Amino acid sequence: MSDENDMDRDDIKRDDPMLAAEFSLGLLEGEELLSARGKLASDPDFAWRKQWWDNWFAPWTDEISGAEPSADVWGEIEARVLAASGEEASGLDGANVVELQSKVRRWQWVSALTTAAAVAALALVVLPAGTETIPTPGATEAPQIAAADPLVAQVPIGDTGLRLDVTYMPDSERMLVGAIGLTADGVHDHELWLVPADGSALQSLGVVTPGEVRSVTLPAEITQNMGSGVELVLTREPIGGKPVDQDAGPVVAQGAFTQV
Amino acid sequence: MADGPTPASAEAREALKAAMARLADGDRSALEDIYRATRVKLFGICLRILGDRKEAEDALQDVYVNLWQRADRYDPTRASPISWLATFARNRAIDRLRTGKVRGGAVPVEEAAPLPDQAPLADSLLVDAEQTAQIHTCIEGLDENARGHIRAAFFDGKTYAELAETADVPLGTMKSWIRRGLQRLRACLEASE
Repeated sequence: MSDENDMDRDDIKRDDPMLAAEFSLGLLEGEELLSARGKLASDPDFAWRKQWWDNWFAPWTDEISGAEPSADVWGEIEARVLAASGEEASGLDGANVVELQSKVRRWQWVSALTTAAAVAALALVVLPAGTETIPTPGATEAPQIAAADPLVAQVPIGDTGLRLDVTYMPDSERMLVGAIGLTADGVHDHELWLVPADGSALQSLGVVTPGEVRSVTLPAEITQNMGSGVELVLTREPIGGKPVDQDAGPVVAQGAFTQV
Repeated sequence: MADGPTPASAEAREALKAAMARLADGDRSALEDIYRATRVKLFGICLRILGDRKEAEDALQDVYVNLWQRADRYDPTRASPISWLATFARNRAIDRLRTGKVRGGAVPVEEAAPLPDQAPLADSLLVDAEQTAQIHTCIEGLDENARGHIRAAFFDGKTYAELAETADVPLGTMKSWIRRGLQRLRACLEASE
């Protein structure tokens, strides 16, 4: 339990209970935050300690004054819950169907674009001088799960010009992961993770297959966390992916889903 | 779990516990009951962390939508519903704060308008009274420096880097102060269990 790998100063050991306290307070950011969230999934002792701290800190929220949200907030929540439940909200009519068709067309258009980008990325391998990076699409809005809108994400790999193209189709609960242009180094695999928007543990989306586009069907515990703005991270792991008893490897790339 | 400070509050707690159980069974009407009972407290938390009504309302939406999608995640043996929901809301607000930073400081936390001085509503749910007393005792036992920074992390959602910048000390110094405080806090809390 008592790692000695992060003694920033002199005296204080940063063991797991300490890391859990920092996580609970919200002091962590960036890669440290992602790795702590990864640890929640793989380490029950750590998860227990995190909640131990949460429970102790929670009474502090009583010192915060309450406030009344706008009256329309509940309506928004209800609409999103209805959409997530796949039920027809009142007012769904022909106009929505037309809108949906246009979304599908837009998606096909974006798909074609990302395929073109993958080809362009391949060209960059041939010309390694190219160091231009593709900006990570930002999380532009709160995660929302609408019934049938495909989600796409591009995950640029460092400054290599390479990237993963990830497309999720809520209709079929299938996800396409394109790793065209990537090559295996024979020593590592790369594992793709979903970062649930609610702050819960990272969920594995599997090991990436270099040079191929793969299609997988996702289980419900993962699809319920899918939404626009939801982040993905790619970690470097031993061959075969993250070993069960170990923490995830370093984060080498990240991106976020955007609804089209 | 200890009873709340007043009978009315004890009743509200029981109603909330029952609503959480119905929600876990997939009863959607339970979500509205939970919203009515907890929105004032949870919105207060989101507003405090984010300092912006629009952002806080978006965070609040996420809290209840996520709650509906993942009602099974609440474990009644580990925390009272209001304690768990308050933590959940705070985490969601902090996630949003960090995402805002990634977007280039879109969230104007520092320039937030002063909050209306609104006392907690009479029927607002409070977290377990016994635990409240203990965390206060233990935090008061820390030196003023550590106490102030740990509280700033909790109430304002500050990171190590932000706290160090505000206090104008090296990052390592701030980490050392806070970790020393957390170490003592843990010992004090564990001794009380």
